Amino acid sequence: MDEMKRKIREILSVRLKLAAAVEKICDDTPLFGPDSLGLDSIDALELVLGLQKEFGVVIEDRTVAVKVLASIDTIAEYVESQGKG
Amino acid sequence: MTAAADRVILVTGGGRGIGRAIALAFSSPGHAVAVNYRNDHDAASETVEQIRRHGAAAESFQADVADLEQVRTMIDAVVSRFGRIDVLVNNAGGNRDGFLAMMSLDDWNSVIDVNLKGVFHCCKAVVRLMMAERRGTIVNVSSLSGITGLPGQTNYAAAKGGVNAFTRALAQELAPFGIRVNAVAPGLVESDAASAMPKDHRDRLLANIPLRRLGKPEEVASIVRFLASDDASYITGEIIKVTGGI
Repeated sequence: MDEMKRKIREILSVRLKLAAAVEKICDDTPLFGPDSLGLDSIDALELVLGLQKEFGVVIEDRTVAVKVLASIDTIAEYVESQGKG
Repeated sequence: MTAAADRVILVTGGGRGIGRAIALAFSSPGHAVAVNYRNDHDAASETVEQIRRHGAAAESFQADVADLEQVRTMIDAVVSRFGRIDVLVNNAGGNRDGFLAMMSLDDWNSVIDVNLKGVFHCCKAVVRLMMAERRGTIVNVSSLSGITGLPGQTNYAAAKGGVNAFTRALAQELAPFGIRVNAVAPGLVESDAASAMPKDHRDRLLANIPLRRLGKPEEVASIVRFLASDDASYITGEIIKVTGGI
């Protein structure tokens, strides 16, 4: 799980070019909305593509995306629930 | 029973936003305005009340324009109430924005159904009445998105682009019958949808509008009223952008 979270942070750092900001957040910090990492819809798409490339998980449904991309924790839980990672 | 109206206008999606402004633009005495709505009966009733206060006859008619049978029933009801339809304004529409990579088939279908098929349904249901009378005019409310495309709106842009092509084709079909068909293509207009937009997104869009402000629903409605009027008697098959200069 820790290795998976490290990879998720790497996606945020490298694909989304948020290295400095990512170092400061916790695994349960919200990624979107107020008091969050401040991602927008384009970042969300980039994150979905990064997760697909890294872990082979395909997120196509927007309502699923909203739940899964809430935080590093929720992403990791989802990837694990899909038997990936 | 009041005297027969000089002009009968049907505005789809007339309860709120641009549709309400359009319905009100036709609210002068002597007119009869049929206000279509899908879900929001209270909003449609409020539009009807405002129209009546301006001296025109008005009534609301429920129908989902995405459903041809509901549209046919509504058209029958409007004709039964007001005698005919002289002006059809296809305004009903809706968005389900999202990047194509994240767009569900339902997001695609529902936007095509209401924005494009809805226009087909309403035109299909009124066109024979107009052709038989050798009079009438149709104004479709399209969108800048249907001309330029906008990211996150592949479904909406495709539907509105379809409306633009439909407008041009139908204008040529109906010209021999003296029926004009035109469209307006609003840009960013003050509306519920614009209000719901994230501020940074809205600011980015504003920066690209030469007039540096959103349009008002009334500024779209006045062009619809013009296109439907005899002042526009030599205009058909036209898509008029109402975009603040974009």
